[in-house]
Amino acid sequence: MESNSFDAIVVGTGMSGGWAAKELTEKGLKTLVLDRGRMVKHGEYPTATTDPWDLPYGNRITQETRQRKPVQTRTSYPTPANQHWFVDDLDNPYTETNRFDWIRGYHVGGRSLLWARQSYRLSSMDLEANAKEGVGVPWPVTYDELAPWYDYVETFAGISGNHDGIPTLPDGKFLPPMELNCVEIDFQKCIADKLGRKLIIGRVANLTAPLTHDQSPQRGTCQYRNLCIRGCPYGGYFSSVSSTLPSAERTGNMTLLPDKIVYEVIYDSDKGRATGVRVLDAKTGAQTDYFAKVIFLCASTLASTFIMLNSVSTRFPNGFGNDSGELGHNLVDHLKAPGVTATVEGFTDVGYTGRRANGYYLPRYRNVGKDKRSYLRGFGYQGRASRSGFGRFYDSDLVGTELKDAFKEPGPWTLNLSSFGEILPNHLNHATIDRTRKDKYGLPVLNIDAVLRENERAMQKDMVDDAVEMLEAAGYKDVKVNGNDEYFPGLSIHEAGAARMGANPKTSVLNKFNQVHACKNVFVTDGSFMASSACQNPSLTYMAFTARAADHAVSELKKGNL
Amino acid sequence: MSLEHVDDTVPELGQRREILRRAAWLLGSAISAPAALAVLQGCSAKQEPGVVVATKFLTTAELATVAEVAEIMIPKTDTSGAKDAGVPAFIDVALDGLYPQPDRDRFRKGLADFENAAQASGKPFLERDPAARVDYVKSTLTAALAGEHSPKPFILMTRELALLGYFTSKVGITENMEYVPVPTAFHGCVPLSQMGKHVYWE
Repeated sequence: MESNSFDAIVVGTGMSGGWAAKELTEKGLKTLVLDRGRMVKHGEYPTATTDPWDLPYGNRITQETRQRKPVQTRTSYPTPANQHWFVDDLDNPYTETNRFDWIRGYHVGGRSLLWARQSYRLSSMDLEANAKEGVGVPWPVTYDELAPWYDYVETFAGISGNHDGIPTLPDGKFLPPMELNCVEIDFQKCIADKLGRKLIIGRVANLTAPLTHDQSPQRGTCQYRNLCIRGCPYGGYFSSVSSTLPSAERTGNMTLLPDKIVYEVIYDSDKGRATGVRVLDAKTGAQTDYFAKVIFLCASTLASTFIMLNSVSTRFPNGFGNDSGELGHNLVDHLKAPGVTATVEGFTDVGYTGRRANGYYLPRYRNVGKDKRSYLRGFGYQGRASRSGFGRFYDSDLVGTELKDAFKEPGPWTLNLSSFGEILPNHLNHATIDRTRKDKYGLPVLNIDAVLRENERAMQKDMVDDAVEMLEAAGYKDVKVNGNDEYFPGLSIHEAGAARMGANPKTSVLNKFNQVHACKNVFVTDGSFMASSACQNPSLTYMAFTARAADHAVSELKKGNL
Repeated sequence: MSLEHVDDTVPELGQRREILRRAAWLLGSAISAPAALAVLQGCSAKQEPGVVVATKFLTTAELATVAEVAEIMIPKTDTSGAKDAGVPAFIDVALDGLYPQPDRDRFRKGLADFENAAQASGKPFLERDPAARVDYVKSTLTAALAGEHSPKPFILMTRELALLGYFTSKVGITENMEYVPVPTAFHGCVPLSQMGKHVYWE
């Protein structure tokens, strides 16, 4: 089947798949890019310019959406403006031994269209922690090896940020930072003076100035609409649809096929290599094999894990590349704790204009330097200060002219802190294949079993207590812990680690270049490889590792090693 | 999805808007952002607030009472009121689409209690003179807020839906707030005196 043969196959078109497609095609490889969902081209964002009054139901999540998407609506995202980006859970089942929130979008671009765009580097502290503390396996990559790749992806994607000079949160190649508002500046000063803690403007993949290169003519600067999750017709933020896939397309080397469900990696035991992938057409159910010299799995952590676990052969009876027995294990997410809010008095004669698609960030300070806690690792906070809106009148007794007059003045300032903490990799937190249940394509489904443990519970307490301490230290009023915010793994939508990288093939699935130890022409560059998650938002790290892996793949191909 | 449901009632406008939408995207960054959006915004099909062809959940009689309660809470002043903003139809549609059955049942029973209590104390709600209706809504609201109100009783559900419907309607937003579809910039510290209307849609 000559027409089914390519130099490379990329599975998935999200954050990682887009980068793999761009890098491999730009280096001259004829590349087949497959996505299980529908096609989305830049600009094809159905609600991107819809006015609020043209959205039904006041843009609240409907009962119909809740019935079709019972998992996706565990978040607040699938409103009428956004729900088309989230999977139908009834058609895409998985099973939960313990509750795990698997939040997904099956369409070209994947979650790169939906992400919060926060972009932070990992530091040496993060990459050295496993080795120092004897947790999981040591990272096989140093910060110095990674830094040039962070430079590379930041420059292409366009990351706005301030040069803050924080060793545990390295600066990068930044476009100009966005502004803090008046109340945020006050909070920044208060916690610095009273507690010695830093607050910085978020580092975000929105263009605050034109890109410093000419490779993305389709992208314009951020318009401060803060409707990013709907897709941005201006190309104001980085997604694979707005950025990497158009670059891959322009090379003439990409064949992008939507609606193709990859369910197996084909392994040739005589050659000792993978030869291709097995695919079901999502619309017709037709089965096709595609072949290539090198395969990149970028389907997302749990989806790539599923494909590998489902690829059983004589050589790999427990799943593709699973000599270590670690495939599917060490699944992590980012830990959340209940959010904390406060009301800020004063500042009544000032406001802000424009809708900043970003907030502030408090980098990790726990277990940094001389700080020592009863638990390992730490957490960061994100939040913003804003004027409260009409919701403040739901439970008030103002009616008539009084109510309408009250609304003409802005509501009181409120400020919030929500946290992302590190979850330690643990063999017991894992995904397996549940062959007792089949989806509508006849494929078995994933079973997920991950829970929080002692380290996470101890950290969650600090995450709440520290937030309360800071808001009280700043003198803010009505400090409230949102007790309804119960966290279950997955809800941060940062699932990672199920095919970890490491130097030792006996304890890890991938090597330092994201190659499957036992089958070097297969690379896995979505969140699966993360040997630990640190507490920073992960996408920038996936981009850097993917670009680095693609460079290595092409270099090895040229040397005849693959 | 029926996100463009308003356009669907006026097919030629809907199509025209879609064509312009695509044209703007094709032009990409070659056309300035505000210019592109001005084209798109200007072609929105007209809403027809307050016109209810067939109700989804409420009976016509129930809707008349709910409409009056909403208008008392958000009356027409120098800006549009709840009825002008299409709030009664919004509440009917929202009850149908946003709430599970127990919440809808509670709403309906609470509405009947509201009517019955008015009747028992002298006169049906809608037959009272305007000032008496306002007093009755205020006293019902005060009593609800003073008591246990989770889950929300009828009067507070109506209030929440009236506010949501009003402040997501075109007149509710554009007459009470600065609605800037494409701000193009963010300024973090601006004196209110330089902000036009003090409340911005966000």
